Amino acid sequence: MEEQDKLKILKKLLLSEEKEFADSIAQKVEDLTKIVHQKEELSHKVDPIIDDKLDEFIQEIPTTLGPTITEALKEEIKNSQDAVVEALFPIIGKMIKKYIAHEMKLLSENISKKTKQAFSFKNWFRRTKAKVQGISQGDLVLSDYAKPRLIQLFVIEKNSGILLADFSPLSDDTIDKEMVAGMLTAIKSFVEDAFQGGDQNLELIEYELYTIHIQNFYSYYVAAVISGAYNMMFKEVLEDQIIDFAKNHISNKELKNSTLFTKKLKKYFADEIV
Amino acid sequence: MKLSKKVVLIGHFGVGKTSLFRRFMDNEFSEEYKVTLGVQIKKKVIELPDGRELSMIIWDTEGHSNSIEDTRKSYLLGSHAFIYVFDVTREETYATLHKDLEYLKKNHAKVPAKILGNKLDLVNEKEIAQHLTSQEIHFDCLTSAKTNKNVQNFFSELAKEITK
Repeated sequence: MEEQDKLKILKKLLLSEEKEFADSIAQKVEDLTKIVHQKEELSHKVDPIIDDKLDEFIQEIPTTLGPTITEALKEEIKNSQDAVVEALFPIIGKMIKKYIAHEMKLLSENISKKTKQAFSFKNWFRRTKAKVQGISQGDLVLSDYAKPRLIQLFVIEKNSGILLADFSPLSDDTIDKEMVAGMLTAIKSFVEDAFQGGDQNLELIEYELYTIHIQNFYSYYVAAVISGAYNMMFKEVLEDQIIDFAKNHISNKELKNSTLFTKKLKKYFADEIV
Repeated sequence: MKLSKKVVLIGHFGVGKTSLFRRFMDNEFSEEYKVTLGVQIKKKVIELPDGRELSMIIWDTEGHSNSIEDTRKSYLLGSHAFIYVFDVTREETYATLHKDLEYLKKNHAKVPAKILGNKLDLVNEKEIAQHLTSQEIHFDCLTSAKTNKNVQNFFSELAKEITK
């Protein structure tokens, strides 16, 4: 045996384990290379499919998930209505304000335009008044509309809340006047009781565009529903008229006869107040 | 001439005043219990046997927990009749009846007060009538707002009585 062969055998004996390890590493490197190449190949094939599916999914979201999302939103809004109102109120409020201001301006301009074209003594007077006061005719017409007006008048028995007579210049019979009389009395009684103000009476109720003027007498009270700007001047005239009617036009005996009472009330208040 | 009368429903809370009110006014009944706050008022026009029409304005007041003195006094003023309602199944709702009637007699001497035991559908009519009599509870009528038993008849009789 030659020297070189001996060395080979010795090398084999001494480094067999290392060789095995080196071989296994080489195998692993080979496997990894294969996987990397395979993935690249796979990605070439799969990527377009995934892209297509993703596009399809995005397009189908409104039909597939839409109803579920809408339902969830609806439920959420239903469960937290207060929060939604709280959030929207300032925005809607501002929008409405802006809209009304805009519409009022348009209305005023329209009225000014129309009144300029019209020839009548009333318009001539209004034009002169507007010129003297330095305001537009539109604003004057609008102030005419804001004038306080009597909408309904109720005469109600004080304790029972029973309607004794009523009068409406607009002849609007949509509300049950007897129930209104009862509820007004209940509200009045509640306020007068709750605040324990001794013999003090509720004299005014305000709601949005209307004011209820209440005038108390011994056994009954008068409730006048007013639209427009209820001011001190109007209040005084109305009070005087109601007192005059109570003093001079209705007797204690007539209080019990609602038909006669209503007839007299209509006759007296048929003319516009103020 | 128009005829209008104020009738006030009074009694402990939960005795069925509002149920009677709704049964008589709208012929409706609900098992759901909602506490009356303050008062609710409705009108029903009743045709009397003599052909006249009566506007019965009924005030359904909120129930009290102790005695009628807890009821807002101004709601009782100007009434033409009181209907004192108690629950036949709850003794505490008629325990103060005598005291409450005394109060009404003292403060509203001229106003008739009708005593009405409600929720008759939950008990045996004969047995409860005997029990109440033994307890010296003198009632005018036993009703069930749920089944409408005696309700319409009671109000019709009341209408006749207050327009005599």
